[in-house]
Amino acid sequence: MQTMDLTNHFKKALFIPQMKATTKAEALEELLDLFVNEKLVKNKYIVLDMLNQRETLGSTGIGSGIAIPHGRTTATADVIIAFGRSQKGIDFDAIDHQPVHLFFMVIAHPNEQGNVYLPVLGSLVTILKDSHNREKLNTITTFEELVSVFHGE
Amino acid sequence: MGHKDLDSLVSLQDLDLMIEEAEDVEKLGFSITGCSELKVARKELSEKISKPLLYRYERLRGKLKRAIVPVKNDICLGCFLRQPTSIGAQGREGNDIFTCENCGRMLYWLD
Repeated sequence: MQTMDLTNHFKKALFIPQMKATTKAEALEELLDLFVNEKLVKNKYIVLDMLNQRETLGSTGIGSGIAIPHGRTTATADVIIAFGRSQKGIDFDAIDHQPVHLFFMVIAHPNEQGNVYLPVLGSLVTILKDSHNREKLNTITTFEELVSVFHGE
Repeated sequence: MGHKDLDSLVSLQDLDLMIEEAEDVEKLGFSITGCSELKVARKELSEKISKPLLYRYERLRGKLKRAIVPVKNDICLGCFLRQPTSIGAQGREGNDIFTCENCGRMLYWLD
Protein backbone atom coordinates (compact mmCIF):
# COMPACT_ATOMS: atom_id res chain seq x y z
CA MET A 1 0.00 0.00 0.00
CA GLN A 2 1.27 3.44 -0.89
CA THR A 3 1.55 5.79 2.06
CA MET A 4 0.78 9.50 2.15
CA ASP A 5 2.98 12.21 3.65
CA LEU A 6 1.77 12.41 7.24
CA THR A 7 4.16 15.09 8.43
CA ASN A 8 1.67 17.91 7.78
CA HIS A 9 -0.64 16.30 10.31
CA PHE A 10 1.89 16.39 13.17
CA LYS A 11 2.46 19.40 15.41
CA LYS A 12 5.36 20.08 17.75
CA ALA A 13 2.96 20.92 20.58
CA LEU A 14 1.39 17.46 20.21
CA PHE A 15 4.56 15.51 20.98
CA ILE A 16 5.34 13.79 24.30
CA PRO A 17 8.62 11.85 24.36
CA GLN A 18 7.98 10.64 27.94
CA MET A 19 4.36 10.05 28.86
CA LYS A 20 3.33 10.21 32.53
CA ALA A 21 0.29 7.95 32.12
CA THR A 22 0.36 4.48 33.62
CA THR A 23 -3.13 3.29 32.60
CA LYS A 24 -5.17 3.23 29.41
CA ALA A 25 -7.58 5.90 30.68
CA GLU A 26 -4.71 8.16 31.70
CA ALA A 27 -2.97 7.66 28.35
CA LEU A 28 -6.08 8.70 26.40
CA GLU A 29 -6.54 11.76 28.57
CA GLU A 30 -2.86 12.78 28.50
CA LEU A 31 -2.81 12.72 24.70
CA LEU A 32 -6.20 14.40 24.36
CA ASP A 33 -5.09 17.20 26.69
CA LEU A 34 -2.51 18.17 24.08
CA PHE A 35 -5.34 18.89 21.62
CA VAL A 36 -7.31 20.73 24.29
CA ASN A 37 -4.36 22.92 25.27
CA GLU A 38 -3.84 23.84 21.62
CA LYS A 39 -7.59 24.58 21.26
CA LEU A 40 -7.83 21.99 18.48
CA VAL A 41 -10.95 20.47 20.01
CA LYS A 42 -13.86 22.37 21.47
CA ASN A 43 -15.20 20.09 24.18
CA LYS A 44 -12.74 17.73 25.88
CA TYR A 45 -15.44 15.52 27.39
CA ILE A 46 -17.30 14.97 24.12
CA VAL A 47 -14.03 13.88 22.48
CA LEU A 48 -12.95 11.75 25.45
CA ASP A 49 -16.32 10.03 25.33
CA MET A 50 -15.88 9.41 21.60
CA LEU A 51 -12.41 7.91 22.17
CA ASN A 52 -13.72 5.65 24.94
CA GLN A 53 -16.58 4.52 22.70
CA ARG A 54 -14.01 3.77 20.01
CA GLU A 55 -12.17 1.52 22.46
CA THR A 56 -15.48 -0.26 23.12
CA LEU A 57 -15.66 -1.01 19.42
CA GLY A 58 -12.28 -2.76 19.71
CA SER A 59 -8.93 -1.82 21.20
CA THR A 60 -6.85 0.49 19.06
CA GLY A 61 -3.76 -1.26 20.45
CA ILE A 62 -2.77 -2.98 17.20
CA GLY A 63 0.12 -5.00 18.61
CA SER A 64 3.94 -4.72 18.54
CA GLY A 65 3.80 -1.97 21.19
CA ILE A 66 1.65 0.38 19.08
CA ALA A 67 -1.72 2.03 19.75
CA ILE A 68 -3.56 4.38 17.40
CA PRO A 69 -6.55 5.76 19.33
CA HIS A 70 -8.65 7.61 16.76
CA GLY A 71 -12.00 8.95 15.73
CA ARG A 72 -13.94 11.60 13.96
CA THR A 73 -15.64 14.29 15.95
CA THR A 74 -17.76 17.31 15.16
CA ALA A 75 -15.80 19.10 17.89
CA THR A 76 -12.79 19.71 15.63
CA ALA A 77 -12.04 21.21 12.21
CA ASP A 78 -8.72 19.43 11.61
CA VAL A 79 -7.10 16.06 10.99
CA ILE A 80 -4.25 16.03 13.50
CA ILE A 81 -1.98 13.38 14.99
CA ALA A 82 -0.50 13.52 18.49
CA PHE A 83 2.48 11.34 19.41
CA GLY A 84 3.36 9.99 22.83
CA ARG A 85 5.87 7.45 24.03
CA SER A 86 5.93 5.47 27.24
CA GLN A 87 9.25 3.80 27.95
CA LYS A 88 7.75 1.58 30.65
CA GLY A 89 4.82 0.64 28.46
CA ILE A 90 1.10 0.81 29.28
CA ASP A 91 -1.49 -1.96 29.40
CA PHE A 92 -3.83 -0.82 26.62
CA ASP A 93 -5.76 -4.09 26.04
CA ALA A 94 -3.72 -4.48 22.86
CA ILE A 95 -4.60 -7.36 20.55
CA ASP A 96 -1.30 -9.13 21.37
CA HIS A 97 -1.77 -8.41 25.13
CA GLN A 98 1.63 -6.68 25.19
CA PRO A 99 2.23 -3.24 26.74
CA VAL A 100 2.05 -0.26 24.40
CA HIS A 101 5.05 2.07 24.09
CA LEU A 102 4.16 4.18 21.04
CA PHE A 103 0.88 6.11 20.82
CA PHE A 104 -0.49 7.99 17.83
CA MET A 105 -3.80 9.72 18.57
CA VAL A 106 -5.68 10.77 15.43
CA ILE A 107 -8.57 13.22 15.80
CA ALA A 108 -10.44 14.14 12.63
CA HIS A 109 -13.27 16.43 11.57
CA PRO A 110 -16.54 14.85 10.38
CA ASN A 111 -16.48 16.25 6.85
CA GLU A 112 -16.51 14.11 3.76
CA GLN A 113 -15.03 16.75 1.49
CA GLY A 114 -11.26 16.51 1.32
CA ASN A 115 -11.53 13.32 3.32
CA VAL A 116 -8.05 12.29 4.39
CA TYR A 117 -8.99 10.57 7.65
CA LEU A 118 -9.00 6.96 6.45
CA PRO A 119 -5.89 7.40 4.25
CA VAL A 120 -4.09 8.95 7.25
CA LEU A 121 -5.03 5.98 9.44
CA GLY A 122 -4.07 3.49 6.73
CA SER A 123 -0.70 5.15 6.13
CA LEU A 124 0.06 5.19 9.86
CA VAL A 125 -0.69 1.47 10.15
CA THR A 126 1.50 0.68 7.12
CA ILE A 127 4.45 2.76 8.35
CA LEU A 128 4.21 1.34 11.88
CA LYS A 129 4.11 -2.26 10.66
CA ASP A 130 7.73 -1.79 9.58
CA SER A 131 9.91 -2.92 12.48
CA HIS A 132 12.73 -0.55 11.45
CA ASN A 133 10.39 2.42 11.85
CA ARG A 134 9.23 1.16 15.25
CA GLU A 135 12.83 0.75 16.40
CA LYS A 136 13.62 4.34 15.38
CA LEU A 137 10.48 5.69 17.04
CA ASN A 138 11.43 3.93 20.27
CA THR A 139 14.64 5.95 20.47
CA ILE A 140 13.63 9.44 19.29
CA THR A 141 13.73 12.34 21.72
CA THR A 142 12.76 15.33 19.56
CA PHE A 143 9.88 16.30 17.30
CA GLU A 144 12.30 16.76 14.40
CA GLU A 145 13.39 13.12 14.77
CA LEU A 146 9.75 12.04 14.68
CA VAL A 147 9.24 13.95 11.44
CA SER A 148 12.38 12.45 9.93
CA VAL A 149 11.12 8.91 10.58
CA PHE A 150 7.95 9.77 8.65
CA HIS A 151 10.04 11.24 5.86
CA GLY A 152 11.71 7.84 5.58
CA GLU A 153 15.10 9.18 6.69
CA MET B 1 -23.39 26.98 29.35
CA GLY B 2 -24.05 25.20 26.06
CA HIS B 3 -27.24 23.62 24.79
CA LYS B 4 -27.38 20.13 26.31
CA ASP B 5 -29.10 18.67 23.25
CA LEU B 6 -26.49 20.23 20.96
CA ASP B 7 -23.67 18.43 22.82
CA SER B 8 -25.70 15.20 22.73
CA LEU B 9 -26.23 15.60 18.97
CA VAL B 10 -22.49 16.02 18.46
CA SER B 11 -21.87 12.81 20.44
CA LEU B 12 -24.63 11.04 18.52
CA GLN B 13 -23.14 11.99 15.16
CA ASP B 14 -19.65 10.97 16.38
CA LEU B 15 -21.11 7.56 17.27
CA ASP B 16 -22.97 7.27 13.96
CA LEU B 17 -19.79 8.00 12.00
CA MET B 18 -17.90 5.42 14.04
CA ILE B 19 -20.51 2.74 13.40
CA GLU B 20 -20.73 3.69 9.71
CA GLU B 21 -16.96 3.50 9.19
CA ALA B 22 -16.27 0.44 11.37
CA GLU B 23 -15.90 -1.83 8.36
CA ASP B 24 -13.47 0.55 6.59
CA VAL B 25 -11.41 0.84 9.77
CA GLU B 26 -11.35 -2.96 10.17
CA LYS B 27 -9.95 -3.29 6.65
CA LEU B 28 -7.02 -1.09 7.70
CA GLY B 29 -6.03 -3.69 10.32
CA PHE B 30 -7.91 -2.67 13.46
CA SER B 31 -9.79 -5.21 15.55
CA ILE B 32 -13.55 -4.49 15.53
CA THR B 33 -15.54 -6.56 18.02
CA GLY B 34 -17.99 -4.25 19.78
CA CYS B 35 -20.42 -3.03 17.12
CA SER B 36 -23.46 -4.27 19.05
CA GLU B 37 -22.33 -2.48 22.26
CA LEU B 38 -21.95 0.71 20.27
CA LYS B 39 -25.45 0.38 18.83
CA VAL B 40 -26.82 0.02 22.37
CA ALA B 41 -24.91 3.15 23.44
CA ARG B 42 -26.32 4.96 20.40
CA LYS B 43 -29.88 3.98 21.33
CA GLU B 44 -29.42 5.10 24.94
CA LEU B 45 -27.98 8.44 23.86
CA SER B 46 -30.71 9.08 21.29
CA GLU B 47 -33.37 8.54 23.98
CA LYS B 48 -31.92 11.50 25.89
CA ILE B 49 -32.48 13.91 22.97
CA SER B 50 -35.83 15.63 22.45
CA LYS B 51 -37.92 13.81 19.84
CA PRO B 52 -38.43 16.74 17.42
CA LEU B 53 -34.69 17.48 17.43
CA LEU B 54 -33.81 13.83 16.95
CA TYR B 55 -36.24 13.66 14.03
CA ARG B 56 -34.60 16.73 12.51
CA TYR B 57 -31.17 15.14 12.97
CA GLU B 58 -32.24 11.84 11.36
CA ARG B 59 -33.81 13.67 8.40
CA LEU B 60 -30.70 15.74 7.79
CA ARG B 61 -28.46 12.68 8.13
CA GLY B 62 -30.57 10.86 5.56
CA LYS B 63 -30.45 13.76 3.15
CA LEU B 64 -26.99 15.27 3.66
CA LYS B 65 -25.01 12.54 5.49
CA ARG B 66 -23.73 15.06 8.04
CA ALA B 67 -26.53 16.64 10.07
CA ILE B 68 -24.37 18.83 12.26
CA VAL B 69 -21.12 20.45 11.18
CA PRO B 70 -18.39 22.53 12.81
CA VAL B 71 -18.20 26.28 12.20
CA LYS B 72 -14.76 27.86 12.26
CA ASN B 73 -14.00 31.53 11.54
CA ASP B 74 -17.73 31.88 10.77
CA ILE B 75 -17.46 29.34 7.93
CA CYS B 76 -19.88 26.39 7.85
CA LEU B 77 -17.62 23.38 7.27
CA GLY B 78 -20.48 21.54 5.59
CA CYS B 79 -20.85 23.86 2.58
CA PHE B 80 -18.04 26.38 3.26
CA LEU B 81 -20.37 29.37 3.19
CA ARG B 82 -19.73 32.28 5.57
CA GLN B 83 -22.39 32.64 8.24
CA PRO B 84 -23.90 36.06 9.01
CA THR B 85 -21.98 37.70 11.85
CA SER B 86 -25.31 38.43 13.51
CA ILE B 87 -25.79 34.77 14.42
CA GLY B 88 -22.11 34.12 15.19
CA ALA B 89 -22.19 35.59 18.70
CA GLN B 90 -25.34 33.69 19.63
CA GLY B 91 -24.06 30.53 17.97
CA ARG B 92 -20.86 30.68 20.03
CA GLU B 93 -22.88 30.87 23.23
CA GLY B 94 -24.44 27.59 22.18
CA ASN B 95 -27.79 28.26 23.88
CA ASP B 96 -29.78 27.83 20.67
CA ILE B 97 -29.41 25.60 17.66
CA PHE B 98 -28.80 27.45 14.40
CA THR B 99 -28.85 26.05 10.90
CA CYS B 100 -26.80 27.09 7.88
CA GLU B 101 -28.92 29.26 5.60
CA ASN B 102 -27.26 27.66 2.59
CA CYS B 103 -27.06 23.91 3.26
CA GLY B 104 -29.53 23.55 6.14
CA ARG B 105 -27.18 21.62 8.41
CA MET B 106 -27.14 22.33 12.15
CA LEU B 107 -24.12 24.35 13.22
CA TYR B 108 -21.60 23.78 16.03
CA TRP B 109 -19.27 26.72 16.66
CA LEU B 110 -15.71 25.72 17.51
CA ASP B 111 -14.26 29.15 18.29
